[in-house]
Amino acid sequence: MGRFLAIVASLMTVASAVALYALKHDTRRLEAEVQATERAIEKAQSDIAALKAERAWLGRPERIDNLAREQGLAPIRPEQYGRIGAAP
Amino acid sequence: MTVAATRRTTASIRLRMLAVAGGLAFATLAVTAQLVRLGTASLGETRSASAEPVSRIFSRPDIVDRNGRVVATDVASSSLFADPALVLDRDEVAEQLARTLAGLDANELRTQLADRTRRFVWIRRGLAPVEAQRVHDLGLPGLAFRREPKRVYPSGALLGHIIGQVDPDNRGTTGIERHIDDAGGVEAVHGAVSSDARPVRLSIDLGVQHAVANELAAAADRYRASGAAGLVLDAATGEIVSAASWPPIDPTVPGAHLDPASPDRLQGGVYELGSIFKALTVAMALDDGLATLDKSYDVTRPLVFGRHQIRDLHPVGRPLTVRDIFIHSSNVGAAMLAMEAGNSRQLVFLARMGLTEPIRTEVGPVAPPLLPQRWGDVETATIGFGHGLAVAPLQFAAVMASLVNGGHRVAPTYLARTAQPPPTVEGILRPETSAAMRELMRLNVTMAHGTGRRAEAPGYRVGGKTGTAEMPGKGGYQAKSVISSFIGAMPMDQPRYVLLVSLFEPQPEDAAKGGITAGLNAAPVTAAIVARIAPILGVLPRKMAGAP
Repeated sequence: MGRFLAIVASLMTVASAVALYALKHDTRRLEAEVQATERAIEKAQSDIAALKAERAWLGRPERIDNLAREQGLAPIRPEQYGRIGAAP
Repeated sequence: MTVAATRRTTASIRLRMLAVAGGLAFATLAVTAQLVRLGTASLGETRSASAEPVSRIFSRPDIVDRNGRVVATDVASSSLFADPALVLDRDEVAEQLARTLAGLDANELRTQLADRTRRFVWIRRGLAPVEAQRVHDLGLPGLAFRREPKRVYPSGALLGHIIGQVDPDNRGTTGIERHIDDAGGVEAVHGAVSSDARPVRLSIDLGVQHAVANELAAAADRYRASGAAGLVLDAATGEIVSAASWPPIDPTVPGAHLDPASPDRLQGGVYELGSIFKALTVAMALDDGLATLDKSYDVTRPLVFGRHQIRDLHPVGRPLTVRDIFIHSSNVGAAMLAMEAGNSRQLVFLARMGLTEPIRTEVGPVAPPLLPQRWGDVETATIGFGHGLAVAPLQFAAVMASLVNGGHRVAPTYLARTAQPPPTVEGILRPETSAAMRELMRLNVTMAHGTGRRAEAPGYRVGGKTGTAEMPGKGGYQAKSVISSFIGAMPMDQPRYVLLVSLFEPQPEDAAKGGITAGLNAAPVTAAIVARIAPILGVLPRKMAGAP
């Protein structure tokens, strides 16, 4: 009886230790994955912020104004408006 | 030993062995249970705290214009710091860094690094990526980077006076940036974290702002003015669609807003605005029932107050109706209207219109109106044509909005109204007064001898009033140094926008002709601005006479 108990107990100990280490290892791996993902998100966010700023910089009216005028465009003149009904 | 005694001993040994085995088994189970619990239950997050003396940095929401175009945002930047305790060779670090980073003072850095009790010294914040890489490549021990948010302004100097500035910790110090901080819109962060707060939406339209700033810069050049200001205000809601002061300021240059050469001329200073004030005098006479548009006044003789004399620049030599007083911009006529109303009625009227009390906008307090210390007959008469009372152009324009919008009060704002509760409508003028003012202002532009005729932008029904105010200087008013302004609205049949253009100390465009009056500069600048912004604002042109 005593011997049986002792064997069961030690087996359980070994089994739980193995399970624990397996879990710990898994957790470490997942944590590393989470960290990598978080870093990727951060990088993506900072890239988005930089690109947003860049797009706004490229789209600043001063620049568009000059580019448009180089293409021969100008602000619309009153006589350039027409009624849809009047179109041929 | 007896047999009985032996048996007792054996039994007691058994009992003790069982107790020991049971105890061991229990302990083993307990350990196992704990192991299982630790293994399966989540351990919670582990946090590590860095012990460095941390400086705080703030993450800010974006600022966008009324159409969602970004005008201010945070980007990640690298900031360089040193840990003096880990720096091996001070002189080498100081020299190499001074060589790599332009404008870095090697001596100052050496002194800072000498204090080995400090563990944290900022060297340069907000480095460009290429600079950071160069420092990194030096491979000097004791140096490290921290990622921080850095404020950038993609629209450059276009909104300099409005946006304001941030300090190195990314906290707002002036303008809208300061307003965001005061409203609790920023959060302290570690690292380069972008704010996920909703962007702050301005009432400014970036396209209109550019057109106005562009025309002002051209006008300042053409008339060699020392400054210029332009304002486009939504006549119904008080939203400031465009507010430009020339010269502009760059929000990234520290202390730029303190430069006396480029003040915010719309709300940062008060000026005697001259004849554009006559619109208020006429409105007062009409609204208080003292006069009608056709009532006539004898303006042929100058008004004399002791040693003061009020005369007209170009006397007409016949009595003028209220309509003519407005269109000829008669000083004597406006003074007579003001005198007819009297001091107290004038003060009450100006107070009701909101010209006597200081106001503020999100950009900050508007320079408070400068009222005469003694409000006697002379003051009443001179205020009647715009001298003796100095007011910020923005505050004046808001009052003018009431004159054309049917008579309700307007509070100017730099934020888009959709983001705020709708303004309550508070009537301060009779609708008929407003209608009469609209008629007068349009006549002043359409009539052949109207002072504002050069403000006409074909199709867009501009109306308004010109004003050329001599600036006070040493020994009284200076005839050569004026502020010429045009205040108006468009389209005049149902005004949507109030317009204000002011040129400070303009010179004659053509030295031979020699005119510096508003009709020759501020009015045509207004026409140029209207022709550019009306299409952006969706104001449709009315078909003109003679057009197919």
